[in-house]
Order: sequence, then structure tokens, then C-alpha cells
Amino acid sequence: MLHEFSYLAPRERKDLLQLLKKHSGQARLLAGGTDLLCDIRLGTDKPAYLIDVKHIPEMQGITWSERDGLAIGATVTCIEIMRHPVIAKKFPLLAHAAGHIGSAQLRNRATIGGNLCTASPCADLGCSSLALGARVELASVRGTRVIPMKEFFTGVKATQLKDDEVVQRVLYPAEAAGAAWGMEKLKRIKGHDLAVVSVAIARTATWLRVGIGSCAPTPVVTADLPPQATAAAVVAAAFKVVNPIDDVRASRDFRLFMVEEFIRKLLPALA
Amino acid sequence: MNTKHTVAVTVNGKKYTREVVGHRTLLRFLREDLGLTGTKEGCGAGECGACTVILNGKTVNSCLVLAPEADGATIETVEGEAKNGKLSNLQEAFHRNHGVQCGFCTPGMLMSVKALLKEHPKPTVDQIKEAIEGNFCRCTGYQQIIESVLDATGQLKPKTEEMRRV
Repeated sequence: MLHEFSYLAPRERKDLLQLLKKHSGQARLLAGGTDLLCDIRLGTDKPAYLIDVKHIPEMQGITWSERDGLAIGATVTCIEIMRHPVIAKKFPLLAHAAGHIGSAQLRNRATIGGNLCTASPCADLGCSSLALGARVELASVRGTRVIPMKEFFTGVKATQLKDDEVVQRVLYPAEAAGAAWGMEKLKRIKGHDLAVVSVAIARTATWLRVGIGSCAPTPVVTADLPPQATAAAVVAAAFKVVNPIDDVRASRDFRLFMVEEFIRKLLPALA
Repeated sequence: MNTKHTVAVTVNGKKYTREVVGHRTLLRFLREDLGLTGTKEGCGAGECGACTVILNGKTVNSCLVLAPEADGATIETVEGEAKNGKLSNLQEAFHRNHGVQCGFCTPGMLMSVKALLKEHPKPTVDQIKEAIEGNFCRCTGYQQIIESVLDATGQLKPKTEEMRRV
């Protein structure tokens, strides 16, 4: 049984932003619901209002241009990302990451905006998007701002998002299109588990970056490395940004070990 | 609070309209408001897949969808399988191959497989495994379920069939 809340489903962006302002602090945004409804059921989240954002045109769809790069609406689902021809061709890392989240039922529902706003340290679209240099477009009645995804995540399940703000789109620079990539995710069971460690690498002619999940309070990314960086240098850069904990799923030492293993495995095979 | 929402859906080809509160899940809506109790609640948290239904052509965990979100949708549930008391081909195959033991996962399992077969009429074992990775079965060990799907799609090799009958 779910805790009682009022369900609101605005059709226009301006109505959404007004509702967010009006119910600031009492409302949660509903996209796929695959995290939020679990939290509500568990009682860890008791919002008075649920605002469904799936009808807002500005938060839908995937666009690509050589000039502006790739823009993914926050309510775009994992399955849409997996099957989008431009993403498959130009951002295969993203298609892969979206295709390996949860189960088919969850991928049919879970959205990129939701994955990022839940801000789990293991967010698959977090570490992969970080490696691709993504930015996040936030909107409120006060206006729109774009911040690097690196700054968006502030802690475990915490983001820069203010109470009256919504993630509108996720933006990927055109220069990251066609980046060579590799991703590995350590899970105990396929389809039902959160990543114990995930490593996503993207490499262009000018940089190489590694996004890492489940190894710090947020998904993290290395500094830009030269594309020809040695495995040892990449591992060293990764160790600078991770700070894993011991928990029920894995020890700190094992996580560090797997970060190195994955980097050494992926680097020579980037495609 | 407690504003009522009108939810109009087509379930297995039949139209229904009901008034519901905002926090009603699609699962409870189907079971309690429409009386379609074929769909089961397992974990209620999107892990087990017992509540899987097909919503506008895509499988979803109905425990993680609100009924008002489904307004206007076309929904398929296990009740749409058997026609006039006769099991569907897929159900027959599950029956023949012992793909059902306690039966609790079956309604959800059938919906995941039905969605798979729409995209891949002759799925490989890997495709079957991927399609049902969000559906827990604690009885069969999955082998009989995979064989049921292979059988339903005319792909069960005679040798496997013989082994099964020993």
C-alpha cells in the first residue's frame, strides 16, 4: 500500500514550473517511478504531491546536431536510448549503459532524468555520461541553467537540484560523438543487482576519460587524460577520484582491485 | 489530497473506466478495481516481475506504475491469454513442458514472453533469458520455462524433449 499523495500531471512546462514553486519541498517529481515508488512504498519518502513530468514536451525526445551535440529529454526511457539510431551510432557507450540497467520491465520505464536525480553512487547513466563529458540542463521559474554533470552530483542520493528545479535535458558535446568506448559492470546477478563496481571509458583523438560507479559517494570521473595514456597512468588517475567503502556488497579493497582490473581489461579493447 | 482521477483503459480488448485516488497502483487497480486477479503482487518493488503486464506494447512492473499514469493506455494481462476456456499456445507450451509449478510467477512470465515473441517470433535461448531476467521463478530453475518458450516457437529439439520425458 502506498502512502497517500496527490498526483498531478501538468501538460505544459510553465505549469510544471509553477507547481514546483508552489509545492516546493513537498513535491517529488515522477518520471519512470522505478526508484521513487519504491521509496514511497518503503516509507523513506513521504511527499504530499507527486508531479508527473512525462507530458512535458521540453523534457521529451532525443535531438542531435553537429553544432549542438546530443540532447536527451529527461523523461526519455532506457529503452528509447538503447534503440535510438543516432545514439547507437555516435554514443554507443550510452546505448550500452542504458541497455544494462535492471530488467526489461525497468528499462521500459526508467528514465535518464530519474537515473541521474536518484543520484545513486552506482547510477549507470551517471558514470557513462560523465565519461562523455555530459552537462545537465536545469529549469525553474527563475530560469534555465546548464551545469557540468560532474558538479550536479553532490553526495549519496544528493544533487545540486533545488526544490523548485527540474532536470530538463541531458546534453552531450558533439566532440564526444564517435568516441571509442568500453564499459564493464560487476554484478552478482544479471538483471537484478546494482553494480558493485562499474567502469566506463571513452576516448577521442584529444582525451580519454574514465567514469566510475559505486566507488565513491557519487559516480565520479577522472581528469582528462591524453588518449594514449598507459594503463598505469589511467589506473593512477582513477584511484585519485575513487574512495570506495566496505559494505555488504563488496570491500573497499575488492572494489579498488576491480577498478584496476576493468581498466586494464577495457583499455586495449576500446572500440 | 485524495483527488479522484478518471482512469480509462483498454484491458485485453475490453474498455473500463474507473475513478481512483492518485496513489493507487496499476496493480491494485487491475486486481481490486477491475477484478482481474490473474496479475500477482510479489515484492511490490520492481524486483520479481510477478506483476508484469504489457502497457502500450511494453512490459512494466504494474506495482511501479500509478493507475492515473495509465489513463488512456492499452493493457494486456494474463486474462487475455485463454479464449473461451481454451489455453493460448503459449500457455499450452508452459503446461506441456512443466513451465508452471506453483504458478505464482506464471502470469508475469507469460507477459514477458508474449512481449518477446512480438519482437522475436523465434527467439534464441539468450534472448529468452534476457526477456525473463526481470521475472523470478523459485520453482522451476527456469529450464522448463525456457523449454516452454522454445516449444511454443517450434524450436524444441527432439533430443531435449526425450530427456525431459525420462
